[in-house]
Amino acid sequence: MISPRIREVLKIGRDLGLDFYDLVFEVIPWDVMNEIAAYGLPIRAHHWSYGRVYQRQRVHGRMGLSKIYEIVLNNDPAYAFLLDTNTEVENLLIVAHVAAHADFFKNNACFEGTNRNMVNEAAAHAVRIEQYKEEYGIERVERLMDAAFALERHVDPYKGLYREEYPKRTVEVREAVVDEYADLTVEGRPFSQVKQVKGGKIPAHPERDLLWFLARYAPLDEWERDVLEIVREEAYYFFPQFNSKILNEGWASYWHAEIISQYPGMTPREMIDFSVLHGNVVQPGHPLQVNPYYLGYKILVDVKKRWDRMHARGESRLDGTEKLFEIRTSEDDFSFLRNYLTPGLVKELGLFAYGPACSCPPHTPRPCPRCGDVAIRSRDVDAVVEAILKPRYNYGAPKVVVTDTAGGVLRLEHDEPGTVLDREYAEKTLAYIHELWKAPVQLITANERGERMEYWCDEKGARVTLRAGTGARRG
Amino acid sequence: MVRGEIPWDLRRRGPKDAQRHEARVREAIRKNLRHLIVEETIISSRGDRKVRVPVRYLDQYRFRYGRQVTEGAGHGPGEPGDIIARRGGQGSGGFAPGDAPGEDVYEAEVEVDDLVELMLEDLNLPRLAPAEAGGIDAEEIRFDDVRRRGLMNNLDKRRTLLQNVKRHAAKGEARIGAFDDSDLRFRVWNVRERPRARAAVYMLMDRSASMTTEKRYIAKSFYFWLTRFLRCKYREVDLVFISHDVEAQVVSEQEFFTVSSSGGTRCSSAYWLALRHIREYHPAAKWSNYAFHFSDGENLAADNERCGELVRQLLDVCRMVGYGEIRYGGWGSFYGSGGKEPRRPQSGLHAALARLEHPNLLLVCIDSRDEIYSALRAFLAQEQ
Repeated sequence: MISPRIREVLKIGRDLGLDFYDLVFEVIPWDVMNEIAAYGLPIRAHHWSYGRVYQRQRVHGRMGLSKIYEIVLNNDPAYAFLLDTNTEVENLLIVAHVAAHADFFKNNACFEGTNRNMVNEAAAHAVRIEQYKEEYGIERVERLMDAAFALERHVDPYKGLYREEYPKRTVEVREAVVDEYADLTVEGRPFSQVKQVKGGKIPAHPERDLLWFLARYAPLDEWERDVLEIVREEAYYFFPQFNSKILNEGWASYWHAEIISQYPGMTPREMIDFSVLHGNVVQPGHPLQVNPYYLGYKILVDVKKRWDRMHARGESRLDGTEKLFEIRTSEDDFSFLRNYLTPGLVKELGLFAYGPACSCPPHTPRPCPRCGDVAIRSRDVDAVVEAILKPRYNYGAPKVVVTDTAGGVLRLEHDEPGTVLDREYAEKTLAYIHELWKAPVQLITANERGERMEYWCDEKGARVTLRAGTGARRG
Repeated sequence: MVRGEIPWDLRRRGPKDAQRHEARVREAIRKNLRHLIVEETIISSRGDRKVRVPVRYLDQYRFRYGRQVTEGAGHGPGEPGDIIARRGGQGSGGFAPGDAPGEDVYEAEVEVDDLVELMLEDLNLPRLAPAEAGGIDAEEIRFDDVRRRGLMNNLDKRRTLLQNVKRHAAKGEARIGAFDDSDLRFRVWNVRERPRARAAVYMLMDRSASMTTEKRYIAKSFYFWLTRFLRCKYREVDLVFISHDVEAQVVSEQEFFTVSSSGGTRCSSAYWLALRHIREYHPAAKWSNYAFHFSDGENLAADNERCGELVRQLLDVCRMVGYGEIRYGGWGSFYGSGGKEPRRPQSGLHAALARLEHPNLLLVCIDSRDEIYSALRAFLAQEQ
C-alpha cells in the first residue's frame, strides 16, 4: 500500500523546482530487486552473464553484505522499485531521492539523446534475440553475445547512436593558385588543376566505436548485425549513468534531504529515523574509497553555500539553488569535479590520492620493504580529482581504436602510456573480434617497459601469437 | 504518480540465466577434469556425498588493464608518504575490495557422483560377464500391481478414492464418502527373479618405502576414483583392498586409503594373496573378477619371475588385470629431477609382465598427477 504521504512528498519536490517524468512505483520482494539490479532493466535478453551477477548478488545479499533499497530507471514514465520490506520512513526518503534522479535523467544534458522508452525497447530486444536463438541455436547466439558484450564499452558516445558510413572514395578537382603574379606575364597560367582524393579509407579516422565498426564493416549476417546493434544500443543507454554517477547521486541525496526537511508531515520520531538513514546514505565509507553519494552531496552543499553568499554580495546573478540547477543541467562527473571540488573542500573532507608506497615495478623479484604497501600520494586537489576520475575515463575500459583495414587485416591500437593490457583477456577478446571480422586481427600496444608489442590473431583458427618488437612506440 | 501493477514475480529471468551460468561452469569443470581429479579437497572428502569445488565465476573476456597497481582516492588523516595500508590487508582497513569481475571465487557444490559421471560416463568394466552367465539370481520384491483384495496396510488410497468417486458419479452423485468394499484397491507385489552381474575388484597397492608421498597420492587418487566409479555404476560389486610391502594383507577401505609407507617390495606377495582370495571367495565361474595393481616397479629383482607366473594364473581367473607403474620423479627421485630427465626405462617387473603378452593384461605408466585421468580411461574404456 502506498501511503498518501508519498504524494505529498512528491508535490513538495515539484514545488521546489524538480521537474521529473511521471513516476511508476513497483513494490517488489528482495529477490526481484536483486534481479532487476543485475540486469539493469526489468526485461533484457537472456544471457548467462546476468545470471552470474544475479547469483553473486544473491550470495552477498544473503550474507547481509548488501541491500538494494531502490532502483529507478531512466524512462518516461520513470519506473522506481521499492523493497517490500522498506519502512514508511525509508520509502519517503527513497521517493524523494528517486524523484530527484528522475529530474536529473530528464534535464541533464548527457541524457538528452537517451531512449526514454528503453524499458519496452529492451523487452523488444529480448524478444528478437529469443527468436534468433530459435532460428540459429542458443550456442551461436550466445557466442555472438559473448563477443558483443566483450566490446560493449567500446562505443563512441559523442558520435551518436545512429551514424553515417565513412565517406566513399571521391576525387575532387580544384584549381589552385600557383603564382599570384603569373597573370602579369604572357605565358603565365595563374591556376593549375589539383586532384584531391577524399574518403575511401576505412576507417577514415581512428575509430573508438568498435561495436559500430564491426556491425557495419565486418562480413556478418543481418541478424548478427542486429545483435551487435542491440548490445550497442543498450550500452549507449547506460553510458550517461556511468558518466554522471557522482553528480547524480549527490543531486538525489541533496534533494531527499531538502524535501524531507521541508515536509511538515513527519513526526519527531520519524525525523530521527530519517536522519539516521540519511547519515548512512551519505557516509564517507571505506577509507580507501570515496562514496559517490557522499562526495556529490558534499560538493553540492558547498556550492549552494558559496553561491548564496556570492549572490548576497551581488557577485553572482544566480543564487545557490539556481546554481545547483545549472550544474544539474550542464555537468557530468568530469566537469563537475574539476569545476566545483575546491581545495578547501578537499581539505575539509580529508581527501587524498593514494598509490603504491614504492616505485618498484609490480611483481619485482626483489621486493623492497615497502613493496605492496599503499601510501598517500598527494592531497592536492588536481591529484585527487584525477584519482577519482581515472577509472571513469572511456566508459571504464582501455581505449582501443581501429586504425586501419589495409589488406583485410583489422588493425587495432591501444595507446595509453603507462598502462598495459591484461594479456590473457586481450587474446581472448581478439579471438572474439576475429570471429566477427573473419580475417586477421592485429593489436598494437606496449608492454610494461613501454616497448611496442603486437598481438596477432590469425585466420587459421584463433591462435594468438606475440611479437615483441624493438621499435620505438608510435605517437 | 502511479502505483504499478506489473506482476514482476512472474517475469523472473535471473534464475534461468543463473542456471545457464551454472551450466557453463559445469562445462568448464568438465574441461578441467584432468586437474580436478587430483584436487586434494575432493580426494580427502571420503564419505561425503558432496564436495565443494572452488570455481571462479566465469570470466567475461574484454580488454582490461593488466598488472593493476593499487591506486585511487580515499579519505582520512595522514600526510603524503604515510602508509595507509599494508600488504596482506593490515593497516587502516586493508585494501579496497576490487570490483574487477572474474576475480572472485564461489564454491560450486558438486556431487562426487556427478563428478564421476562427468568423467567416466562412457566407461565400463571391460568384458563384464552377461548377467545370466554369472548364474546368480536374486529375488526382488516389487509393488507393481493393483488388486481388489489385499492387506489393509497396502491400501492404495488414491485409487480407492477415485473408485469411490467413480461409483458415485455412475449414480449421478458428485460426492466422496460411503466407502464400501468394492471401492478398495490394494497395492500388491510380485516376486521377480532378477539376474545380476557380479563383479569383484581387487585393488593392490604397493606401500613400500620407495613409494613417496606423491606416488602414493597418485595411486590413492586412482583408487579413489575407481571405487567411486564402481559404486556409482554397479549395484553389486565386491571391493577387496590389498596393500603390500614384502608381505601382503587384505585391509579395510579406510586403512587402504590412509596407509603410510615403509619396508621393501615383493609384489608377488600381493598377487599370491589376491589369487588365493579369489579362489576362496570369488570363483571365476560365478564372478567377474578384476585386479589392479599400482607400484613404482622397484621390486626385488629375484621376485619378478614369480610375479609373472602369478599374474598369468590371475589372468585365468580374472577378466582383466591392470598394472599401473608410477614413475613420477624420474629415475632419481633422490635428486628431484621433476620428471624432466630422460624417461626412466621400464622396471624389471614391468618387463616381466609385458612378456606375458596376454590380451587381458593392461600395463600403464603414470608420470604425473595429470595422467591419472588417462590411466582410468585406459583401464576402463576397453572394448567389451
